[in-house]
Amino acid sequence: MKNIIKHIKKLNLFVIAIALFSCSEDFLSPAPTSVLNAATFFETEADLEAALINMYDGIQGVNSTQSNDNHGIQVEFYLTEMRSDNTRTKSSEGEAAQFESYSVQPTNGIVDDYYRSFYNVIFRANTVLAHLDVATPENLSKIEGEAKFVRAYAYFNLVRLYGDIPLVTSVISTGDTDVQFTRVSTSNIYDLIETDLSTAIGGLDNSSKLRASKAAAQSLLAKVYLTQGTNYTEAQQLCEAVMNSGFMLEPNFKNVFYNELNNEIIFAIGYQEDSADSQNFSAEWLNAVGRSSGVNYTTADVRIALDALGGDRTLYSYRVDTDQPTQFQVVKYLPEEDTALGITSTVTDRTKAGNDWIVIRYADVLLLHAEAILAGGNTTTAQAALDSFQLVRDRAGLTTPVTEITRQGLLDERRAELAFENHRLFDLIRFGEAQNVLSAFSTATGGSFNATDLLLPIPQREINLSLGQLSQNQGYN
Amino acid sequence: MKIQFKNIIWLLAFVLIAFTVQSCEDFEQFEPAGANSKADQTPPMASFSYSQGQGDGEVWKDYTFANLSTSATTYMWEFEGGGTSSDVDAEFTFPGEGMYAVSLTAFDALGVVSVFSDVINVVEPEEPEAIVPEILEASFEDNSLAGGSGDGRDSWRNSALGGVIQITSSPVQNGSQAAKFPSAGDRIAYQELSVSPNSDYVLTYYYTLKTNNPGSVTVSVLADGGHADLATALAAKIEDFEGTDQTSSSNYVQENISFNTGANSVISILITNQGEEARVDNFSIAAQ
Repeated sequence: MKNIIKHIKKLNLFVIAIALFSCSEDFLSPAPTSVLNAATFFETEADLEAALINMYDGIQGVNSTQSNDNHGIQVEFYLTEMRSDNTRTKSSEGEAAQFESYSVQPTNGIVDDYYRSFYNVIFRANTVLAHLDVATPENLSKIEGEAKFVRAYAYFNLVRLYGDIPLVTSVISTGDTDVQFTRVSTSNIYDLIETDLSTAIGGLDNSSKLRASKAAAQSLLAKVYLTQGTNYTEAQQLCEAVMNSGFMLEPNFKNVFYNELNNEIIFAIGYQEDSADSQNFSAEWLNAVGRSSGVNYTTADVRIALDALGGDRTLYSYRVDTDQPTQFQVVKYLPEEDTALGITSTVTDRTKAGNDWIVIRYADVLLLHAEAILAGGNTTTAQAALDSFQLVRDRAGLTTPVTEITRQGLLDERRAELAFENHRLFDLIRFGEAQNVLSAFSTATGGSFNATDLLLPIPQREINLSLGQLSQNQGYN
Repeated sequence: MKIQFKNIIWLLAFVLIAFTVQSCEDFEQFEPAGANSKADQTPPMASFSYSQGQGDGEVWKDYTFANLSTSATTYMWEFEGGGTSSDVDAEFTFPGEGMYAVSLTAFDALGVVSVFSDVINVVEPEEPEAIVPEILEASFEDNSLAGGSGDGRDSWRNSALGGVIQITSSPVQNGSQAAKFPSAGDRIAYQELSVSPNSDYVLTYYYTLKTNNPGSVTVSVLADGGHADLATALAAKIEDFEGTDQTSSSNYVQENISFNTGANSVISILITNQGEEARVDNFSIAAQ
């Protein structure tokens, strides 16, 4: 009996010893081995490559009809084309119709979707930049350039849509409310955009159209300068650098959109049909194929402009909706066959379309080149501007030589060339014509346009999360 | 019994009157005016921005006004020189150049008013004229720089591109000196000029070559400035002219180089020679 107690005492000592050893920190907080973890994920350049791809995944957005998902660039047309004189909803239904009538509410879900999508893209770019230490020296500047291009691109979209916005330049957490909810003046946002793009130009090459490239950064910086009305000569030099980089206009206008990654494309967001990497905006533009009954339908105003100025482009810009012949759809980015137009398609589910979204193409750069030479003036006869302008018109079959370019002529040409590619609203604002054109358009279509409608509201959700720290834009309550 | 009932009625009436009188005092606080009225918690704040019309003809007189007022429901715009509007945003065509006062009065539904005024300087935008740059020591004369200094070639030095030119006093085309490029061809003249982008210019100069050996003198107009390497400098050529006229070693030949500055606000002139001694004199530049 005594022996047993002795043994038990020994056993106790043994258990206590084991217990003491087992309580080392490693045992209580082991590094997870079966899941990825932000603190330990970035070990090699391959991890950084995954983080780079992740940025484009953010711009691409999720193909879903869930309001809570980030749809990225797939919803951009609502905030740009449908807020211009180019497009509208087919049936004026739901919150999508707030854009065409200039009665956007701070609670509009699409306004929030785009805002959080592109701040998420910025977060993804900042994540890459926070882990540049694992990059190899030879690839460092390219990786940094790629992340900074994407960050600048996201900020350029956000600052033009929302005005003064929070400036987030590092990876932050939910606790960093000061950064998240402090609005920074547009000029400071543009400072970051310019330095990021300059870094990108220095680090990138022209090896990809679906990822950031030197030419994409040069084109974007030219547009950033023109948007601010500064550095016209630098903008012209940037355009000329792109013009000397081997891009050319696709001879047939239709093929710009139906021959993906053609010579004209400088930067596009790629989609894969019938896959998780597909897009649904193409279906939304059709008659009740997507979730809506049809959005981004053409206005009478844009059809008149295209009929008058489009040349060969008009045929491939809009078409009759055969289900509802009083309505007219956009032809660019169709997810289905159109035998009359010679457009083929292999997609089986139209809501999982594979049409890439073109962000920057060569025709845009040629017209920006002419705009840079115009340099804020009313007319130009400079041969370099005429040459670029003429190239775009020649492709459209409008071969009469142009001897002078006016501001209005350039704005009209951009509308005809780039209709439904999310340029029109920004062009009107950049040319200082937005208030004139949109108030007349709004009066004609029964909308309620005011000058304050040129900026979107800060999403109400953000203001609520900020507990009132984030102020609302003028004209919204 | 009857009297008792009457008394109760009287009592009730009295109490009712007392309550009514009392309650009337409370009512007064809901009177719209007076010492007890509440201030407008969200008074209007008038504000606007404006932009000048851009385009052909008289469009510069057309101004658009963007209403940036807060907490207001109705508006009144007043433009000096006549004109009012009660629209939210306004447009106004001014009669011509001058200073004009514009005021925006913003009202809220409680009749509270805020006024914002600004004076607008309406100016017709001028067609920008091309800059005409000054070529320093254009005729290679001594003491021709500001303050009477210079040895006739100080403005043409660039040791990264080549040796400094020599000066000759005969033959000359203008003044008493000209630039001399010995036959070795290892000397250059270089000068940067500020110009307007995308503008046409004509550069005029005179040259003569000795006639013993075949030779040439080339004047190049280069894009941008800051050149420090001869090969890259020559690759940035906008326009050039290689002079090979060797009919006389003493008579100067005039040359005009027409060029467009393109996307440059600075250009450079570079002069080189080869094979034979060259003399160059009397540069001038004019905008077309």
